[in-house]
Amino acid sequence: MKNIEETSMEPILEIRDISKAFGGLQAISHFDLQVGSRDLVGIIGPNGAGKTTLFNMITGFIPSDSGEILFKKENITYLKPYQVVGKGIARTFQLVDLFKEMTAIENVMISCFSHRAKKHKVRVGEKPWETAMGYLEEMGLGDRFNEKVKNMAFGELRLLDIARAMATQPDILLLDEPFSGLDNENVEVLSAAIRHMHNKGQAMVIIEHRLKDLLKLVERVVCICFGEKIGEGNPKDIMCDPQVCNAYLGGRSE
Amino acid sequence: MQQLNQYDKLFGLKSLYKRLAALAVFGVLVMLAPLVIKDLYYLEILFLCHYYVILACSWDILSGFTGNINFGHAFFLAGAGYLGAVLNINFGLQPWLTMPIGGIVAGAAGFIIGVLTLRLKGPYFASVTFCFGALLYKVFMVSSRTLGGEEGISGVQALTNSPLGNFYFSAIFMMIVIFVLYLIAKSSFGLILRSIGENEMASEGSGINTTYYKIVGFVISAAIAGMAGTMYAHVQMHVGPEMAHDSLSGLILMMAVVGGMGTIIGPVIGAFLLTLVNESLRFLGEMRLLIYSSAVIVVILFAPKGLFEIISQVLRRVGGQERAK
Repeated sequence: MKNIEETSMEPILEIRDISKAFGGLQAISHFDLQVGSRDLVGIIGPNGAGKTTLFNMITGFIPSDSGEILFKKENITYLKPYQVVGKGIARTFQLVDLFKEMTAIENVMISCFSHRAKKHKVRVGEKPWETAMGYLEEMGLGDRFNEKVKNMAFGELRLLDIARAMATQPDILLLDEPFSGLDNENVEVLSAAIRHMHNKGQAMVIIEHRLKDLLKLVERVVCICFGEKIGEGNPKDIMCDPQVCNAYLGGRSE
Repeated sequence: MQQLNQYDKLFGLKSLYKRLAALAVFGVLVMLAPLVIKDLYYLEILFLCHYYVILACSWDILSGFTGNINFGHAFFLAGAGYLGAVLNINFGLQPWLTMPIGGIVAGAAGFIIGVLTLRLKGPYFASVTFCFGALLYKVFMVSSRTLGGEEGISGVQALTNSPLGNFYFSAIFMMIVIFVLYLIAKSSFGLILRSIGENEMASEGSGINTTYYKIVGFVISAAIAGMAGTMYAHVQMHVGPEMAHDSLSGLILMMAVVGGMGTIIGPVIGAFLLTLVNESLRFLGEMRLLIYSSAVIVVILFAPKGLFEIISQVLRRVGGQERAK
């Protein structure tokens, strides 16, 4: 198991002993996690392991039953989603959840109007669509700015969702299965974008099923099974962990 | 940067000024109407058009944009109308005072109902607003001693000295409401309301306090309806329980739906059209309701996004052909 000292810096996100049950189903059980301010962490686990539930709890979409979530040492366990964004945590969604009748730039502009984005405005006097355009260009969507979301390709929507999340100026970005539904070419584009953001100092946590692509990106991997953490370490070690191999990889390591 | 310039044209001030200029032309045409229409009966109908435009647009800024359907808009206009009547008759307050008071009180009522209901998702808001409207109607019906019961309250001071004065007052009020609401709709506030209507969860996930924006939208919506209700009380010199009837809330909703929800201009079209059609079919007696309702169903079936969408599409095609030439 990785200690605080081993993370790249002082942890900004600390999850302490959180649990969540839906009726008789224990979705998350006594889960702990620490993420440093420049970390790039991957979360893996079989379907139904509780990965998205974990993100939903961190971002305030689902309240936890017990335990606490600290962000920059402040308890954010029971904050509402917009308050969590205000603290500096943004997320994307597994099923891309955007404003379909709006254009790409309008989708990003909504985030530019959030309280946090206004407070952390990079350039004073910049029009909101100029700020939004910057994020779109960073994701390679500059020429698609005026396209309605409902007419955009799935790969573009994934990139747009990240641009929308980034426009809230987060300290940490949570990506929920960003490669899901993408072809290899788009995975490469998205991986490059993630690498670029991380090189600029962006902390990120990524839930992903495409192990090969994820392991090329992240520095640390956490494996969840039936709501419990069963392994944590660098990608190489975690792939050799027998418990992880049994639970997730069907007994073989890649 | 070239793309940004293009976006500036589409979204920025240039296009906004063009649309505001089009609204100004509409305003001038409205003001010039009495030069052609001299008959007092028709002026009265035009006053009703202005009144319904104000109500439909004020309904639209919350319900049309956020999808939180208000089934009790009459609650605010009737409540403020009665308040204006009582303040005028019992305390001698003039219309220039009762109208803003009616607006403030209706806005405050909108705030309280909004705080209680708008944080909830789903049909709660629609149900609660419907109940508030129905409750007020009953209160007016049974309060025969204080509020005149079924008869209502008569003898309210007239708004102006003539029907022409009422016409101009309502026309100016309507144009101010359209301008203000249109500017709100085109602002960041309007974009956020639209985002809530499309996907409230994603809006919250983008850092937007959706409850706050919905409550502010509701306060604006209720305050404008309250001022319109007080204006109506002074123009009719009478208030009655029918002002709070659910059928009026339904009519306002229908005007916005037929014209095009979430557009501000759509409800203007819907309110003018439905008022004029309703009045022009009056000679048919009870049959008019059948024809009127059928026409509304046909519009909703064939133009689910409202007539404004069809008009916009036609204008875009014509504009495209002109540019191609």
